[in-house]
Amino acid sequence: MPKSVEEMMELIDRIPDEAAKPGEFILPELMAIAVAHEVRDDDIVFAGTGLPMVGIMTANMLNAPHALLIYESGICDGKTMHVPMSVCDQRAANMSSTLGGLVDTFGFYLQQGFVTLGFLGGAAIDKYGGVNVTSIGDYFHPSHRFTGSGGNSDIGTMARRTAFIILQEKRRFVERNEYTTTPGWWCWDFKTREWKPKKEVWKGTPFAHCGPCAVVTNMGVYRFDEQGIIYLDSYHPGVTVTQIQENCGFDLNVSRVTGETPHPTYRELFVLREFVDPELIFLPTKMDYPPAIQSLIDG
Amino acid sequence: MPRIRDKAKKAEILSLEEAVKKYMHDGIVCAFSGFTGFNRNPVAFAWETVRQGFKDLHILDRHGSVCTWLLNAVNAIRIQETDWMGWGEMAGKLDVNLERNYKRGQMILEDYSHGAMALRFLAGAIGSPFIPYYAPLGSDLYNPDYDALGRAGMRNGDNPRIARKKFIQMEEPFYGDGEVVLLPAARPELAVIHVAQAGEKGTARWRGVGTIDKEIAFACDKVVIIAEEIVPEADLRKHPESNQIPYFVVDCVVEQPWGAYPSSVPFYYDYDAPFMRIMDAASRNEEELKKWLDEWVFSPKTWEDMIDKLGVKRLLDLRADSVTGYSTRILRGKKPAPRMKMPLSVARSGY
Repeated sequence: MPKSVEEMMELIDRIPDEAAKPGEFILPELMAIAVAHEVRDDDIVFAGTGLPMVGIMTANMLNAPHALLIYESGICDGKTMHVPMSVCDQRAANMSSTLGGLVDTFGFYLQQGFVTLGFLGGAAIDKYGGVNVTSIGDYFHPSHRFTGSGGNSDIGTMARRTAFIILQEKRRFVERNEYTTTPGWWCWDFKTREWKPKKEVWKGTPFAHCGPCAVVTNMGVYRFDEQGIIYLDSYHPGVTVTQIQENCGFDLNVSRVTGETPHPTYRELFVLREFVDPELIFLPTKMDYPPAIQSLIDG
Repeated sequence: MPRIRDKAKKAEILSLEEAVKKYMHDGIVCAFSGFTGFNRNPVAFAWETVRQGFKDLHILDRHGSVCTWLLNAVNAIRIQETDWMGWGEMAGKLDVNLERNYKRGQMILEDYSHGAMALRFLAGAIGSPFIPYYAPLGSDLYNPDYDALGRAGMRNGDNPRIARKKFIQMEEPFYGDGEVVLLPAARPELAVIHVAQAGEKGTARWRGVGTIDKEIAFACDKVVIIAEEIVPEADLRKHPESNQIPYFVVDCVVEQPWGAYPSSVPFYYDYDAPFMRIMDAASRNEEELKKWLDEWVFSPKTWEDMIDKLGVKRLLDLRADSVTGYSTRILRGKKPAPRMKMPLSVARSGY
């Protein structure tokens, strides 16, 4: 007899909040939970479609229940019951505070300075956290043409801090992007045609100190030093620092590594699997729980 | 643009076929409603536009959609001035048709950002010629060398709907707040807006997110409303605060049930993600795409005929719940949706 939603909700606090062992979770789960850990309870979060959205929804159900989630189509504080496939999904608008449009989200909320955390994807990233979601090769004759900015460049430069999820490969972790869609801590000053710290290009604007704070990849978690240069903070289970360096297109600072990325806990996995994405839209598969946890669920 | 009128408009009620014939033309600058491929795309209108064979369109919009997917599938778009070239998010992100046409040099892409396009339409809507915006300074979006319409020689003032510059960066002159980017107002000719309900006079209402549809309605010269249902104006006026578009900007109303399929109309029907995945797969092979177009666009006699092909079971699965506004019966991923009564975060921690 399957349990009712109420019974499943009551179970959450009885599932141990201790780290799962290697082999008991899959990489997308680890990444989604790593995203969730970036969210604070007093954040106003503006996130994009995909794993960022799954991660912040998980945070909203666990470590940051009062974080306010903004979705760019006009949704303020959506309280979702079913995972949205788009930031305009009616599922994301469920029980929201107000519904508006893009002028609300990008103007009233974002440019007005309310957004404390942006969470976005990207096709490639440079060592200063600048992101390319536009094209590879000559801009007018690209070898790869991606979707282009969407809200990436707005959110990534005007949220107080921004985190990115990116698939790590040597050609995606680069010294300098061929096309900078979302400037990081260093960017072009097109008036003088100089490559400069963002703080100088944006000097005098309210957003000079806003920028990237973390990057979650399939290999590790990264942060930015005082000069705005990316460094490795933690490596995922089963990945070595050498492998990470081999999949990075520049000389990566690994001197500040704190250790392995924290494994998701059984409770986090339970919430992610049973409440965030039980339909398996973002997660490719659902693993079995270890026997001790499964008997708690069945019990 | 501000257009001083001598008299008020009067909205006409037309069939889908008549509306497309009357309001579309080759080379038109046009904007569509909704958000990506998921919410309130005026698909039936774009579908009929493809069938009537209009070409060289200039789509000035916030992002791609099912509409631009269809138009790019027959290479009908000459210029796409937008900020997101995808269409299907989690059901087919990049528009493969667009990428193919672009790489063959058959179309011009002009990149902006989401906030920038929203504010360009806001400026257009309130009759202002331009609007200042901060983001994103230092992005290649505002690299003077990356002005696609300028490079094509189209910013010479010949077309009053193409701004003479992509943007101007200047020092903020009033408060000394650093550098700021001035963006030209968006001034398309035609807005096509899919809504839930329209009154016979043209007053329009939707539920769910607004995206920038009100701004688009006011920024464009002509407004065609595609409604799931035409209802008495008197009913819409019982709760006027729920209406978004006043009738005096509307030129034409078309009643077209299921007219936004496969995108959603909140509280009417959900998006059809499996169908969108099939569209995306078809677009990856030109032979397959041609077959798909023959089957779903050119063979049906009418839009109703097209919807009829989907079958009753599919339509019942897509029909929205009256409480949540979406469907929990459609299979979007690998497992069915659970029955939920309350969001977990609210149940555990309140608001």
